[in-house]
Parts: sequence; C-alpha cells; structure tokens
Amino acid sequence: MKINEVPQDDVPDYSEGIKKGNYALDDKGKYVMVPSKGWVVDEMINRMAYDEYKVKEEEARKAVLAGQKSPLAYYMELRQMTPEILGKTAGIAAFRVKRHLRPEIFARLKPSVLGAYANALAITTEELITVPKNPRER
Amino acid sequence: MTTELITKETLANGRTYIHRTSAHCETGVTSALFRDKGLDISEPMIFGIGSGIFFGHLPFIKQTGLPVSTFRSIPGLVFKKAAKRLGVKVFRKRFRNQQKGMDELRRVIRTGQIVAVTTNIYWLSFFPRRYRFNFSGHNFIVLYENENGFRISDPALLEYTTDCSTHDMERARFARGPMEARGLMYYPLSVNPDHDIRKACITGMKDSCKQMLKIPIPLFGVKGMRYLAKKVIKWPDKLGYVEACRQLAHILRLQEEMGTGGAGFRFMYAAFLQEAAELFGSEELAELSQEMTAIGDIWREFAVVSARIIKQRGQSEETFAKVGGLMLICAGREEQLFKDLDKVARKLKA
Repeated sequence: MKINEVPQDDVPDYSEGIKKGNYALDDKGKYVMVPSKGWVVDEMINRMAYDEYKVKEEEARKAVLAGQKSPLAYYMELRQMTPEILGKTAGIAAFRVKRHLRPEIFARLKPSVLGAYANALAITTEELITVPKNPRER
Repeated sequence: MTTELITKETLANGRTYIHRTSAHCETGVTSALFRDKGLDISEPMIFGIGSGIFFGHLPFIKQTGLPVSTFRSIPGLVFKKAAKRLGVKVFRKRFRNQQKGMDELRRVIRTGQIVAVTTNIYWLSFFPRRYRFNFSGHNFIVLYENENGFRISDPALLEYTTDCSTHDMERARFARGPMEARGLMYYPLSVNPDHDIRKACITGMKDSCKQMLKIPIPLFGVKGMRYLAKKVIKWPDKLGYVEACRQLAHILRLQEEMGTGGAGFRFMYAAFLQEAAELFGSEELAELSQEMTAIGDIWREFAVVSARIIKQRGQSEETFAKVGGLMLICAGREEQLFKDLDKVARKLKA
C-alpha cells in the first residue's frame, strides 16, 4: 500500500475525527506511518456489529414494555452483557440472573440485590426499575 | 502528509514522555514503554522481534457468537517475547482486589514510571461510541494523575494524549467476562544496555516462521488460512447467504478494524522486514519485505471484494468462491515467504 492508497474516506459518524495509523510506502519505497481519516469498508463492518447490539437492545426494551421481560434484561443488553458476565460483575450466580430477567421475579427483589445490579450496570436503582419510553438515539 | 505526530507530557518526576501514533495497541504500547527506558525501538521492530504475525482460525472461541479468526499472536505475547529477546526486565501483575490494583497503579505513576494497563473498551468513554464493544484486550499507557482522573497515552487510537476518569479506569481494568484483564498492569524495570538487537531479530523471524509453518494443527498458520478459505467458499450453501455475510464480516472486523494498521498486520510485518534489511544490509530481506507488501495488498483486495459481497447481498458479481480464492493465494504466497525467510534468517549473522 502506497501513501496515496491509504484510505481517507469521510466517516465522521464512526471515526468522530479520530485517525488510525497505517503503515504505507512513500515514493522512495520506504515504510512510514500515515494517519487515515477512515475507510468505508471498515465503517460498514463496524456498523453491522454495532447495529446487532442496537437491535438486541431495542428488542429487549420492547419486551420490557410489553411485560415479557424485566428491565434488567434491557440494561444487560445496553451494557453488551450476558447473564454470565452480568452475574460475575454483580456477584450473583448466572442462573439467578436468568431468573431475575422474568418481570414477576424481578418485582420481588430485595433492595440489596437491586443495588448490586445497579452498581454492576453503572446506573441508579431508580433507573433500573424502568426502561426508557422511546428508543435511545443511535 | 506523513509528518509524525508527537505530543509531549511531563511525568510526576519531571521527565518528559513522548506520545507517538502507532498502528496497533500492544506493539505501540510496548515500543513506547521501551523508548521511555532509553531503548529506541520502532513499533514494527517490536512486532517482528516479538513474533506478532500469525494466523489462526478458532472455531471454538466465539465473539458475539461468531468464530474468531486472528491475524496476530495471543494478546500479551508480543510484549513478553520482545522483552525477553531484548533483555528487558519487566513487571507484570494482575489483581484479585480492585482497590489494591488501583493503589498500586497510583503508587507507581507517582514515582514517574509510566504503566501500561489492559482494559475493556466498552467502559472507556474517551473512545468514539461506535468503537466501544465489550472487548477486554485494549492496552494503553497511564502517565500521571490529574484533576480528571488520569492522563493517558493511547498510541493506537489517538493522536494526542487524553484524560481517563477514575470511574472509567476502574470499570475498564476490572471488567468481568471473556479474557478479563483482572487489572493487569505492566512496565519495564530495566533495559540491558548490551542487548543484541540483531540476535533478537533473528530469533523473532525464526519463531514467526515456526508459528506460520510448523504448528501441527490445521487451524494455525498457513494451514489455518487454507482451512478457513475452503470453509468460506462453502458458506453460502451451508449457512445461507445472510449468515455467510455475517461470518465474512466478522473476518474483516478482525482483519481491518481492530487496530491492525490494515491488511491484518501484513504491512506492519513488511515494515519490520524493511527495517531489518537495513540493519543487516541484506538485499534478501528487502525483497521479502516487498513480497510481504504485495501479500498485504491482496489481503486488502480480499477486504474490498468481501465488502462488496456483503453490501450488495447477492446482487454483486463477486462471489464467495472469489474471496476464498484470494485467501488461498495469500496462503500460498505466505507459505513461500516464510520458507524463504527461514532460510535467510538462518544465514544472518548476529
């Protein structure tokens, strides 16, 4: 790859102005570090993965509003966690986390357990008992 | 256009730290740590000496439910190997207790010693939001404490030094889940002044050849490329078009997106071979560097063609057979390259 082949595509939504380092050949055939603004290929691949998380998050939010899942399920998806990761972070066994994803069981949780979840998810206990009415922007 | 971007910072004991942009986190961090100890060494040299180049298809390790294909060695290994081969004594520690891990970090940076930490990207709010995936394997350097938390240098993603809040730092270092860092922090204690960089290069090259050619498991090295290429060709029939695209996109993510400097580290290795060619005055190494560049260009073409397939969802003229074929070409040429490199490395005099 030569310097003029280093992609310099405008993908501000993805890169937010941050450049990535690339090694490319200068006209004397010597490798130099060339900052790249972004690459559409890179951006597309990233968006696919990012959107997968967004879809899961939005599905969970709707399921909570429909009363099928507890708000814990939404915040777990928001933090890109699984019951296993959330369980480890909160210090609660994964099988219990899975039970707590059911609204009727979640409603009976003690404040101490809710506190542990809120801490693990970096939100307040008040936030944990509801989900946003509208989808999160982006 | 190619001006090297440099930012300077003053550390707790008054010394100056120089921040340089790099293409990958671990090699960039290692190079910066060694430079700080007076061993002036470039990022590609670290990559070559630490035998970072690799290929592995790991169907049993899943990331977001998809098998991982890696273009580099296991995280942490480049640092360890480079340190050993250059005679650098290192401190490397994980922590069971979060408080102890944070206290130790603060204690060390107060002495003016810079410290590398391994973190989970999801919790780093100084990153663009679309970079922030639940992935524990990002390295950066902590310089000193300030009113916002910590001043840090992230050579792989940022052109300048930045701040990281105490909250982010704690969460990112101690995030739970796959590959958890458990507060891993590391830094060099001392550099052997009589280190032999030529010998280190030869060891690194031979080791890379072994990794690429001699591992008797068909998932690693050149064999792994061939194995994956054949799978890619069959994907549309076996998985259906949508799932095949998803899996292909995942290969691209690991090849291009995660700070590889493009083409799955192949250009960085070419840069290493070029620097080594100058060091040894070897025409053969210079030729191998050119061949590695050519291979990197094919990997890039693989990415471009794959992207076209994924974007146009079956409307494209490009096929999975074509991208699989490109991967087979890479495998063939890399096999020849590492065979040649092995011969050349054996002839070089330390």
